[in-house]
Amino acid sequence: MGQFLIRRLFDAVPTVLLVLTLVFVAMRILPGDPALAALGDNALPEQLAAFREQFGLNKPLWRQYVDFLAGVLTFDLGRSLLHNQPVVSLLAHALPFTVELTIVATFIGVAIGVPLGVLAATHRNRLPDSGVRLFSLVGYAVPDFYLGALLLIVFSLNLGLFPISGGGVGFWDRMYHIMLPAITLAFLKAAFIGKLTRTSLLEVFGKDYVRTARAKGAREGRVIYRHALRNALLPLTTGLGISLLATLSGSVAVELVFNRPGVGTLLIGAISERDYAVIQGGIIVFALLVVFVNLLIDLLYIAVDPRLRVQA
Amino acid sequence: MDRREVLKLGTVAFAASVAGLASSHAQEADVLRIGIAAARPRHSDPNLTTQGSDNWATEQMYEQLVRPDDGRFAVKPEDNIPTLATSWTQSDDALTWRFKLREGVQFHKGYGEMTSEDVVFSYERAIKNGTNTTVMSNIADVQPDGRHGVVIRLKSPDALFLGSIAFSNNTSIVSKKAALEMGERFATDAVGTGPYELAKFDPNGAVILKRHEGYWGQKAKIGNVECLYIADTTARTLAVLAGKIDMMEAVRAPGWVDSILQRDRTLKMDMTAPGSFNTLHVNLTRQPFGNLKVRQALMHAINRPAVAQALAPMGGVLANLQPPGFPAGFKAEELPPELRYAHDPRRARQLLAEAGFPNGISFSANSSRREDYASTMLIVQEQLRAAGFNMDLKIGDHTAYHADNRSDKNTLAMHSSSYPPIPTQLYQQQLAKASLVKADGNGGGNYSHYGVAMPGIDDLLDKALNSSSFKDYEAICRQIELQVLRDLPLIGLSTLSFTVARRGNIDLGYEVKGGYARWRFHRATKRI
Repeated sequence: MGQFLIRRLFDAVPTVLLVLTLVFVAMRILPGDPALAALGDNALPEQLAAFREQFGLNKPLWRQYVDFLAGVLTFDLGRSLLHNQPVVSLLAHALPFTVELTIVATFIGVAIGVPLGVLAATHRNRLPDSGVRLFSLVGYAVPDFYLGALLLIVFSLNLGLFPISGGGVGFWDRMYHIMLPAITLAFLKAAFIGKLTRTSLLEVFGKDYVRTARAKGAREGRVIYRHALRNALLPLTTGLGISLLATLSGSVAVELVFNRPGVGTLLIGAISERDYAVIQGGIIVFALLVVFVNLLIDLLYIAVDPRLRVQA
Repeated sequence: MDRREVLKLGTVAFAASVAGLASSHAQEADVLRIGIAAARPRHSDPNLTTQGSDNWATEQMYEQLVRPDDGRFAVKPEDNIPTLATSWTQSDDALTWRFKLREGVQFHKGYGEMTSEDVVFSYERAIKNGTNTTVMSNIADVQPDGRHGVVIRLKSPDALFLGSIAFSNNTSIVSKKAALEMGERFATDAVGTGPYELAKFDPNGAVILKRHEGYWGQKAKIGNVECLYIADTTARTLAVLAGKIDMMEAVRAPGWVDSILQRDRTLKMDMTAPGSFNTLHVNLTRQPFGNLKVRQALMHAINRPAVAQALAPMGGVLANLQPPGFPAGFKAEELPPELRYAHDPRRARQLLAEAGFPNGISFSANSSRREDYASTMLIVQEQLRAAGFNMDLKIGDHTAYHADNRSDKNTLAMHSSSYPPIPTQLYQQQLAKASLVKADGNGGGNYSHYGVAMPGIDDLLDKALNSSSFKDYEAICRQIELQVLRDLPLIGLSTLSFTVARRGNIDLGYEVKGGYARWRFHRATKRI
């Protein structure tokens, strides 16, 4: 298992390096001058020159790239061009908000999606099945930023039940602040997982071992949850991984709509201000999260499928 | 306890926590919350602020030697009122300014009494490290005159010294002891003399202030001010409608004021006049705009009152570059008839024909995606089309737009900027030869190439900058305005007020009429 983990981590190195290079190049190709964005459009040429000098923006590109890579290797992501703070500390503040949003949204999505999928599969071509399929369709069709704004207007503005913005302080306050954003993200996730569960279960329902369990007189609940659902988990695990990554990217829009702190909000602000150091740092974090989630899925596979456990 | 009971208990606990937390977020009488249109604060040092929104907090924490009355600009030198200085005199040549300092002014956080040493230190750091070193470079030296007096000597006369330098962010008076003691930390841990002091600088989205109990003047009526950074306009709007914040920086787009008032009629709108000056640079090096008749046609094609009307109630009409009420600001009827350029598409077509373009002209221009830029330029595009100008407008990212302008990549470049009633500041930044735009991006904000592609206003500008009386200064600025209207390198499109939507239960204690995009809260009261 240890060797497997080390091998997978080594496999991720070229991916991360490629992402770093792409981000560095993309930032430099992007039109716009970070010095002008920082100092304002009335800034004088000498002020702009001093700013570029201070942050090394006037160095040759290859030198900036080498400095950037060296910084990443020593966990020094530089300082924000605009906020006079180390990028690491900005990310350290933002990351927990994004991670907790992803986890809570995933939890809600799975908690709703799996039972809905079971309901649809066990009532194939009947009213509950049609209802779940309609739910999935709507879930796919409604953009998260739109749903977020709707929930915000109804539950925060009109009913006053949830906060309008912010991330909260302390565990319960954070949970209170996370509810609407998490439900927004969970809606699509539940639609996706529900549909996937239905499909996987229907496939498994036709297998011999399910028929055997029923023939032996096992209760329907036991047949579904013990025999069918466990075997349907493998494709569901893949789906969950894809869905987790989608939630990470979806969190950018949702954080903006709910004015939540997070890596997404940090990145969007940094892009509009051409704060290279923060953008690079944020993308690195996202890239590492993707690598981590993929690794997590591999481990989940092993836990779910005994055959893979032997291979690993 | 079975599973159902646990579930029920959990639901009740969750509902109770939601209700409890919701009530804890309800309005508090002693806190004033303002929603700021930016993602996070950058600095609380007035000498470093480059993000306009940060000035909402610095405005409450710092003071200068003089300042205009709340909610106003000092249009004339006599409009400045004593603040940290109680009186002042200027020499006849406007080169030497003597200030008598107010005694007993206490800095925040127990940093002691303000003295001439602090004033000299504040000015010296602004000259050396401030964000406006060009304006500050006119100061030859600043010397203490006893414990409560200061003498400031200038290199060139400045009849408007009080407005151009003495009342500016950079010359806010800071505690020398605190600045030296804190070093770099001072950037986010400020010590001034204003009615509020910094309680917490949260780099992730808030600046929290509390009343300065040792304030020399009338103490602030509301004990705490929270500047909450909410960049998303929808989130900010919903927050003010739901009463989570008391005020918000408005969205300066056509129809926004009407739409929010439809949601809540009790909201009040505070607006500065003029706010931003929206100007349009005509690139004289791009043909056929080097031809005066084409530029005159352009002026007749643009319906400037209609542009201002579209931005109502935030928009204001500009007859020239300076708004009416400012020095050198004209009303249309005060201008010579040939320089009024009334909207007349037929006359525009005729002028184009005389210039050799009977079938009109086509050209491309860039605009920023930001609401105020895009909406104004789209209106202008439609107006130009009716007069034979076919403008292919490319709308893009705001930061890239400014970088492109700075690299001389635009034909008609809109510029929106706020200026005090000191006309020469606009001329220096947008019309002077010294500010000529350069293709490598290292030039200034003169995007029209005025003064290089054709003779400009540089001689007159020098005269204005060296005049020792306000009367002479204003007269020269009026000459500059008339020359610019004759040459047309830069068009005054409209003004656009800075606007704040305020909940009806907040009384600022004064009416906002003018000034920069920030105002003080020390006189504000809140009804619950």
